[in-house]
Amino acid sequence: MQEATFLILTALASGTQHGYGIISDVADISGGRVKLLAGTLYTALERLRADGLIEVDREEIVDNRLRRYYRLTPDGGKRLAAEAARLHSHATTALRRLNLNLAGGAA
Amino acid sequence: MIEPEEPALSSSESASLERGYRRLLTWYPKWFRLQNTEEILAVLMACAQEGQTRPSLEAAADLLKGAARMRLRPRPGQPRTVFAAVWLMIAAAAAELGVMVTLLATESGVKADLIARYPAYAHAIGHAVNVQVTLDEVVGPIVIAVWLWLAWMSSRGKQRGRVALAVFFGLTSLSVLYALSEGSLVYAPAAMSVGLGIWAIAAAAIMLIFNKASSPYFQRREPALV
Repeated sequence: MQEATFLILTALASGTQHGYGIISDVADISGGRVKLLAGTLYTALERLRADGLIEVDREEIVDNRLRRYYRLTPDGGKRLAAEAARLHSHATTALRRLNLNLAGGAA
Repeated sequence: MIEPEEPALSSSESASLERGYRRLLTWYPKWFRLQNTEEILAVLMACAQEGQTRPSLEAAADLLKGAARMRLRPRPGQPRTVFAAVWLMIAAAAAELGVMVTLLATESGVKADLIARYPAYAHAIGHAVNVQVTLDEVVGPIVIAVWLWLAWMSSRGKQRGRVALAVFFGLTSLSVLYALSEGSLVYAPAAMSVGLGIWAIAAAAIMLIFNKASSPYFQRREPALV
């Protein structure tokens, strides 16, 4: 799973979001490192919808502009959980080995 | 929930910027534009800087990249078999174009080579090559147009397109068989190889279009999104 996809799914894990909300949330989650642009966001959202990982929750018209809210599907939640567990496992292993190396180097 | 706020743009700045974004969004496939243009515009306008009147280079590149990606993806409801077949038909059109350009570019060389070999028949050779080139100039664009039309019809799930593809494939097969029976493989191996290559592409396209997975796409009452 690409980082942008992971971050978009993570943004939707806490509830429904519209496009601008996802962009802002992804910037927050990544500490400002990942700045999604609209073209990238909507290409990803279209793919995630086609794969059944997200769906449209509702649409609103605010200030004459269309706002569409997205939410995770149960499949999307499962995929995100599996990916998060995989990344967590890799990160844990990396940190454990680094700590061993550091401890070994210090000794 | 983060609420988007459009930056303080004058109405002329806002209109100019929106026009710029709308122009960029026209590069997306029509089905995608129908579903998403207004929503993407809302996000783009919310992300605009104060006083901005034109899309930034970064945003423009990102939208064009997104448009290219969307065009390389099946439209909603379109089976992957149909999507692959459509690209094969476009590849066949491109191959036909390559053949036509090669023939036109090498015309004088071929003529000179033949005349050097058979100087006694110079006039007849010149005439024959001219006739062949004229024929290629007329038939080539028609064949390319037919391939592109078949790709367009198939991508929209039109049953008539499927039937036309079958007929066109039959004609292509007959012309290949005729060329083989005339010994083209011996006298014009390069041209025959390209012809066989295009026939193979057509055969693959027809197998995909008549695949079980493709059939429901052509049997709907309403065609796919325009």
